[in-house]
Amino acid sequence: MRLVTLLKAGLTLDLYLFKNNRAAFISMLLWPYLVLALILGMGLSFGNPSSFKQKVGMHIDPIVYFVASTFIALSSLDVMWGISGQILFQRWIGTLPYTLIAPYRTSVTLIVTYIPRYLLSTFINILEFTPLILLMNGLYQGSIKIAVLLLAATIGMFPLLGFSALFASFLLAIKEESNVLSWINPIILMFSGAFYPAYLLPYWARLISHILPTTYTIELARTAAWLGSPDLTHITFLVGLLAGITIVYNLTAYLVVGAGEKKAMKEGAF
Amino acid sequence: MLTSVKAILWLHIIRLWRYKWSFLNMILTYVVWILLLMLGILLFVPKESLGITVKAAYWTILAWNVISQFSSLIGGWMGFFISTGMVEEHILRGISPFKVITGRVIPGFSVILMSQAFIAILLGEMFKVDVLGIINPALTVLSFVLLMMESLSYGLIISSISLRTSIPHAMLEILNFAMVGLLMMPVTSLPPMLGIIYLAIPYAAPTYLMKIATIGGIGGAPLYFEAMLISVVETLIFLVIGIYSMKRSEEWMKRNGVRAVGFW
Repeated sequence: MRLVTLLKAGLTLDLYLFKNNRAAFISMLLWPYLVLALILGMGLSFGNPSSFKQKVGMHIDPIVYFVASTFIALSSLDVMWGISGQILFQRWIGTLPYTLIAPYRTSVTLIVTYIPRYLLSTFINILEFTPLILLMNGLYQGSIKIAVLLLAATIGMFPLLGFSALFASFLLAIKEESNVLSWINPIILMFSGAFYPAYLLPYWARLISHILPTTYTIELARTAAWLGSPDLTHITFLVGLLAGITIVYNLTAYLVVGAGEKKAMKEGAF
Repeated sequence: MLTSVKAILWLHIIRLWRYKWSFLNMILTYVVWILLLMLGILLFVPKESLGITVKAAYWTILAWNVISQFSSLIGGWMGFFISTGMVEEHILRGISPFKVITGRVIPGFSVILMSQAFIAILLGEMFKVDVLGIINPALTVLSFVLLMMESLSYGLIISSISLRTSIPHAMLEILNFAMVGLLMMPVTSLPPMLGIIYLAIPYAAPTYLMKIATIGGIGGAPLYFEAMLISVVETLIFLVIGIYSMKRSEEWMKRNGVRAVGFW
């Protein structure tokens, strides 16, 4: 089995899921706008944009700020569910032992089959927000902002792959049937400053946010919300930082996940 | 009759104890998601009006929690009940599966109580606001009961539909999510005629009553009597539809058998 086959399998899985489960596809399209509408609707009915700018301490557009936040938060959740959540899902449906004895390592199978699915769903999500961003910022500025968001989603995926693989091995090890991911994932997003900037969090929370890859992905995406042209130096700095974190997380995942898989092969995965 | 009621209550209490990690999981998941979204929303609120906003948001969230838990924990449980083959077992023993489903009020209520207490503590600590300091306790209880009855009926309607056909779970979540947007709308900012139309939307009137009871007059509480009348009439309509659809579904099921296409 070649790696291309795994890539193809991942893509085909999603395409057929969309084709056969239209309700799931429609709900996938609706979610980003529902989250955005909830935050902006409630925020604007209870408060005002000038308060927002004052609290955030930056001259930014609240709508693009929350478009960027929603887009990256949903993409990050997608990666964490798509890789770590697969362990639980496969355990529930009884296919985990088959994945464990497949020719490729479990982590490789999970990651490689997931990458095309991530790119497809990210592309669909950004396509959904494109009309709104272009409407708010015009063709030139809007295109730059979309490019920044796409860059953040793509570069941000790499450290998250290693991070999620680490979580997958954790789920293999604890053999927990209840879905711990459903509350761990929003906690990760909260510490990463998904909707509330990480620099406004208490000191102890900021320490945690520094080690999470999603913190930097969200910060990179939010440069799109700055009014005027984005600061290229800041973007380059964040891309460099994410590249460094990618190496750290993926290397750690390579070592740790290997041990977790060996343990699961030895003791069983039920 | 009494034996079956006791058995149903015992079933749901013992399940709550046996699946304690899932119970804790449900509470934590709800609390963390709410907090995550609320922190973003509160960025818009000026410091001077933070107290009243946090309180209004808390009671809107409570209303949403009731709607969401009752529709998914009661309506959604039918899928599980069908897939384990329990519907046939209960019908053969002369017990309506809907009576068993109604017992899900226990886990639903427990999750609401624990998660709201948790949110109240967190908001109190973070924003120094006493969200539980209510003005009219009797009206709070009444609006809560009306909201619960409406949500329970909705959950039972959903489970009776799911006996005959499948319902995509995601669509129900989306409907619940869209409901928050409607519930947060300030009635006082609408012209009186539009206000009445708004209150006629399911759950809107009891939620408005709950806000009056907890936050205060909201501009002398306009449309108070209209909201009360609509809440009571709407709850009765919901109950009648709920009972009717349960009866029809049971008759249909006895004629055609259980269709194992569940809710989840």
